Amino acid sequence: MFDLAVPRFDPCYYRAQFAIFAHHPDLVYLDNAATTQKPAAVLDAERQYYEYCNANVHRGAHRLAVAATDAFEGARATVARFINAASCDEIIFTRGTTEAINLIANTFGESPEQLSAGDEIIVSTLEHHANIVPWQMLAQRRGVLIKPLNLTTEGEIDLTHLAQLLASPRARLLAISHASNAIGSIQDIRAICQLAHQRDCKVLVDGAQAIAHLPVDVRALDCDFYVFSGHKAYGPTGIGAAYIRSDILRTLPPWQGGGEMIAVVSFSGTTYASPPQRLEAGTPPIAQAVGLAAALDWLSGLDREAMHAHESSLHRQLEDGLRQIPGVVIHGQARQKVSLTSMSFAPIHPYDVAQFLDNRGIAVRVGHHCAQPLIHSLGISGTLRASLALYNTADDVNRFLAALSETLEILA
Amino acid sequence: MNAISASSSTSLEPAASEHADPRFAHPFGNPGHANAIDLAELARQLDAAASWEAKNRLLVQLAKQLPDWSPEQKTPDRKVAGCESQVWLAFSPIKQAENNVSWQLAADSDSRIVKGLLALVLTAYNQRSDSGQFDFEAWLNERGMQRFLSASRGNGLRAITRTISEHWQNQPQPNRA
Repeated sequence: MFDLAVPRFDPCYYRAQFAIFAHHPDLVYLDNAATTQKPAAVLDAERQYYEYCNANVHRGAHRLAVAATDAFEGARATVARFINAASCDEIIFTRGTTEAINLIANTFGESPEQLSAGDEIIVSTLEHHANIVPWQMLAQRRGVLIKPLNLTTEGEIDLTHLAQLLASPRARLLAISHASNAIGSIQDIRAICQLAHQRDCKVLVDGAQAIAHLPVDVRALDCDFYVFSGHKAYGPTGIGAAYIRSDILRTLPPWQGGGEMIAVVSFSGTTYASPPQRLEAGTPPIAQAVGLAAALDWLSGLDREAMHAHESSLHRQLEDGLRQIPGVVIHGQARQKVSLTSMSFAPIHPYDVAQFLDNRGIAVRVGHHCAQPLIHSLGISGTLRASLALYNTADDVNRFLAALSETLEILA
Repeated sequence: MNAISASSSTSLEPAASEHADPRFAHPFGNPGHANAIDLAELARQLDAAASWEAKNRLLVQLAKQLPDWSPEQKTPDRKVAGCESQVWLAFSPIKQAENNVSWQLAADSDSRIVKGLLALVLTAYNQRSDSGQFDFEAWLNERGMQRFLSASRGNGLRAITRTISEHWQNQPQPNRA
């Protein structure tokens, strides 16, 4: 009667919503960890915002300003809902993950209540430079110490080492990624937060690589900070968010000064608005926030379990295929990985491989992936990274594997 | 294409073709080499390579004619910053006439494609004494190779040509030193 074996998740149905694949029909886009493509729902939302309700937010005494403010604050509510924050006020809009981490380093990091000279910030070796350099800059300013957290040979956090670092009474903050952009390892954030909180150490989670792939519930994870970018989750560039738990948020000083973030300004003294406005100086990226909310709503409308099963199945196909190709070394053997794989082909350079893949319409990333401490700890100078998203298909993976085999023969 | 002064009989430097250091004994822009390759020949080969794949294959072939450096020769001071792959450059003076020194160039990279691009660079700049005579980027554009000049850090071609120009500007002329 009916074929009940229909796939639960049809990537081609969603792929059709991404105009870029109509303009580049032969494109095999496997650089999703750098940025994802944008569905019509996101492009339409930004365009409609500009066409129907563009105005500045929070101040105007006219109907468009009210509509714009509603759209912007509605976007904040969508972000809060998407990650299950307790309140919309715990969401600060930023330009992206990098700015979100810099915001936290410049507010939490500058707060005498939170950090004193000699305190320690634990930073995992997996981290993207965006989750290393702001802490190094803070260490220079405030005399706090950076404690690198080791990895296991599989590329997971070394929990024994973490316990050792947390044993220090000066450990105040742990900065850790939910999923590694370079080798894909997913960390057990809930367990890590539990360990850290037992020692009164706060946890900042870099969710840039998790937000599009994993369910994120900041209250279940019990993290203190969670940051991510819109553009890696089908949303626009130039917008991201910092979740900051309200009890911490209340204590934070401002970082950038300007309009929007003040209560009263006079030359004898200025008082600041309450969060989140205190931390959002100037006109915010309004249309981008609307676009981000459209992306998160669009993701929420999918069967995300089925989406995850699809991405995991493609990722298995990818890694199984790679193991059949002589000369390929896969980096990162974590038990749980997001749908990306880093690989190298010594002595063949990843850049050369990527050039030949590009000749065949296949887009990948090569290099150190802004994670030099990790790449050096693997004893290599760089990798080629293939990263999957929900619109990738089994055919994409097969084309990648076939092209990679041919390329390695050409370069042998 | 290269403006080369007639060799001086008083030169104390080895002729480029018989350079004692094997890194410098390559055919690119080296008219004394048995299989010398000049820009006209490279232009002919690149123009004949119609597709990107053909161009990339050609670069890999050219790379094979550029001698590999030993690990000891790949010193940090010879490394060009700003490339995703590793690139090393070396200069050896060739005394052409009493007041005229040109430079024999050698280069290596861990990327075959970048090493092929280095072969193009060497052909353009080898045995020259200054950087103002030849527009290498325009030459690459004429060959349809402009993608290699993009701002991407991938191959760092601009970083390489800048290093050569800076060397010319900063190094004292050895015959005047």
